Amino acid sequence: MRKIAVYGKGGIGKSTTTQNTVAALAEMGKKVMVVGCDPKADSTRLLLGGLAQKTVLDTLREEGEDVELDDVLKPGFLGTLCTESGGPEPGVGCAGRGIITSINLLEQLGAYAPTQELDYTFYDVLGDVVCGGFAMPIREGKAQEIYIVCSGEMMAMYAANNICKGIVKFAEAGGVRLGGLICNSRNTDREDELIIELARKLGTQMIHFVPRHNDVQRAEINKKTCIEWNPECSQADQYRALARKIDANKMLVIPTPIAIEELEALLMEFGLAA
Amino acid sequence: MDTDSISVFAERKGQILVAGSGQETISCDKQSLSGAVSQRACVFCGARVVLYPIADALHLVHGPIGCAAYTWDIRGALSSGPELHRMSFSTDMREREVIFGAEKKLEQSLRELIEKYQPKGAFVYSTCVAGVIGDDIEAVCKRVEKDVGIPVIAVQSEGFKGNKRAGYSAACKAIDRLVGTGDTTGIGPLSINILGDFNLAGEIWLIRQYYEKMGLQVVANITGDGRIDDIRKSHGAKLNVVQCSGATMELAKYMKEKHDVPFLRVSYFGIEDMAESLYAVARHFQDVDWQVMERARKIVADELLTLVPEMKALKKRLQGKTAAIYVGGAFKAFSLIKAFRHLGMKVTLVGSQTGTEEDYREIQQVCDPGTVIVDDANPLELGAFLRDNDVDILVGGVKERPIAYKLGLGFCDHNHERKLALEGFLGMRNFAKEVAATVESPIWRLVPRRIGRTTAGTAHSTEVVGKES
Repeated sequence: MRKIAVYGKGGIGKSTTTQNTVAALAEMGKKVMVVGCDPKADSTRLLLGGLAQKTVLDTLREEGEDVELDDVLKPGFLGTLCTESGGPEPGVGCAGRGIITSINLLEQLGAYAPTQELDYTFYDVLGDVVCGGFAMPIREGKAQEIYIVCSGEMMAMYAANNICKGIVKFAEAGGVRLGGLICNSRNTDREDELIIELARKLGTQMIHFVPRHNDVQRAEINKKTCIEWNPECSQADQYRALARKIDANKMLVIPTPIAIEELEALLMEFGLAA
Repeated sequence: MDTDSISVFAERKGQILVAGSGQETISCDKQSLSGAVSQRACVFCGARVVLYPIADALHLVHGPIGCAAYTWDIRGALSSGPELHRMSFSTDMREREVIFGAEKKLEQSLRELIEKYQPKGAFVYSTCVAGVIGDDIEAVCKRVEKDVGIPVIAVQSEGFKGNKRAGYSAACKAIDRLVGTGDTTGIGPLSINILGDFNLAGEIWLIRQYYEKMGLQVVANITGDGRIDDIRKSHGAKLNVVQCSGATMELAKYMKEKHDVPFLRVSYFGIEDMAESLYAVARHFQDVDWQVMERARKIVADELLTLVPEMKALKKRLQGKTAAIYVGGAFKAFSLIKAFRHLGMKVTLVGSQTGTEEDYREIQQVCDPGTVIVDDANPLELGAFLRDNDVDILVGGVKERPIAYKLGLGFCDHNHERKLALEGFLGMRNFAKEVAATVESPIWRLVPRRIGRTTAGTAHSTEVVGKES
C-alpha cells in the first residue's frame, strides 16, 4: 500500500484535487482510502456525495472508546473508503492532538490492516504544518509520499517552501519523501514555467499542471468529483492524467527548501513584480 | 571545601562559590539548566504550596490528574477549623478534553463543587496542558463568580512559564485579588497580618500566640490556617510581617503600594531571629503603645530561661559536628546557619532553590570561610558535595531526603513533611533535639563506607592512601 499525504496553503484546492485524483485512481481499479485531517471535516464530501459523516473524534466523544470501524469509515464513489478525523470547534481545545488521536484510533481499529486490501491511503491535511499534530500523517510509519498543491501565487509558493522544511525534518527521522508539486492553476503569468522552476530549486518535479476550469465548481455544487459528475469533461481527463502520473511516480526526494530571497528573486525573474 | 573534584556542568559553575575565596557574587535567580535535574518544583507547584493552606477555599486543579495527585496535601498545613484545603480536586483532563477543550468540564466541576462544599472562595489552578490548549480559565471563573457570589480566582500557574518563583508570583497575584474586598470594621491600630507562614506542624499557632501576648491583633494568616474572609479584610491591618523570603514578598509589596500597609521581613527560626522578629514588630508599634516592647521582652526572657540551659547541654554533645543545608528559600538558610552555631556545629554547605543575589551576599557574610554556597543545585552535585565532606547531617526537604539516606547521612526535614514545629523558641528546642538524636544515632556506624573507621578523620586518610597506591 502506498500512503500519500497532500499538503498546501489553505484554500488552494487540496481537498478538491485529492478527491478527484482518488476518483480517477478508483476508476483505474485501485482500492483507495481517504483520511481527512481537517477539523472542518470537508475532505470527503465529493466522494460521499455530500453525506454528512460522523467524524472519528465526534464518535470518540459521544461513544467513548467503544468505536467500531464501520461507524467512522464510509464507502464512497467507486468503492473508495472515506473517513474524517474531525476536531474541536474553532477557538477551543487542540486540533493537532485530535489528528494524533484519530490516526492512532484508526490504526487500532484496523483501518490499515492488510485485510482491507488497500492500494492507497490519502491524507488530506489542513493548510500548513502548523504544529506537531498536523505533522502526524508524515511521521514514521504513516504517509511516505507527499504532494504539495500550489499555484503561481506568491503565498502559495511560500507555503510550499515552508512545507518542504517540515518534510526535511521528518525525512531524516522517518523516511518520508516529496513526490512533487501539483500546480492548481490560478491563471497567473507564466505559471507553469514558474512552478517548474520552483520544483527544480526544491529538488523535485511539477508532477502535473491542473488548468483552471469552471467544471470543477459545477461538479462541487453537485457534491461530486468531476469524474463522477461528467466523466466526459476535459477536467476529468486532467485528473486522470494526474492519477496516472502519481501511480507511476518514482521520483521521491528529500526536498531542498530555498531562502525567502531566492523565492522572491524567482518571482522577479518570471515577471510578477513588473 | 574543595569543589574542584566535583563534576559540575560548565553552565552552572557561576552558581557555586566558596565563602572567603575572594569570589564576590554568585549567579542566581535564573532558569534552571536543562538536563541538570534541578531540585526546584514547577510553577504550578509553587503556586499551590502558597495558596493551599487557605482552609476554607476550594482548590481546583485544572489539568490531568497527576498535577493534583502529586501535590495532594503537599505541606501538611494544619487548620484549626475547616479542612477543605486538604482535598485535592482536579478536572481530570483527558485526551477528549485536550482535543475539544476543557472549559465546559471546568465550569461544570466548579459549579458542582461549590454547590456541594459551600466554600468561601475558590482557586482554579492552570497547568501545562490547560495552557497549551489555551482554555480561557479567567472567563470561566468570571462567569461562575457572578452566579455563586463567592470570589472565584484563576491562578495563572502553567508549569512551563518559569520556575517555582513564578508560581509564588502567580499565587501572590491571586491573593491580591482578594485583599481589599472585605470590611475592616473592628481592626485596631495594633494589628498585623502574618505572611509567609504555612502552619506546618501548627507553627503559626505558636507565632500568633507570641504576637497576641504582645497585645497585637492578628487580622489574617497568609496563608497558614488561612481564611478567605480574613484575607479580604487584611488591608485593614497596620503592618505585614513577612516570613519566607520568596513566597509572599510580592504580595507585601502590592499591599504597600495599593493599601499603604508597610511590611517587615522576619524569620521565626532560631533564637536570635525569633527574638529579633518580635522586637522588630514591637519597635514598629513603639509610638502607638510602648508596652508592646515590654511584653515582647518578657516573652523572650521567659522562653530563654528554660531554653538556654537545654541548648548548652546539647551543644556539649554536638560540638564540632558538621552540617549541610539545602532549602527552598534563602532566608531559612540564614536562620539555620545561626541555629547550628548555637549547637557548636560547623556548616560546610549552604544552598537554596530560589535565593537572590542579595540573599547570597548575606549568607556569605555569616558563613565560615571555605563554606560552599550553591544556587539551584541538583542531586548529583549535592551528592558529590556531601560525599566529599561527609557531614553529619543534611537539612532539607522531601527531595533531599533520599540523597542523604543513600549516602548514609543523618537528615532533618525542615520542609513540608516536618511533623514537629521548628519555628519559635519551642521549635528551636525541637530542632536541637532532633539534630542531636539524628547525629548521634548509632545507625550511621553501620553504613558500609564507614565500617571499620574509628573517627571520620582517619578513615578519610586511609581512602586517600588507597587511591594513590
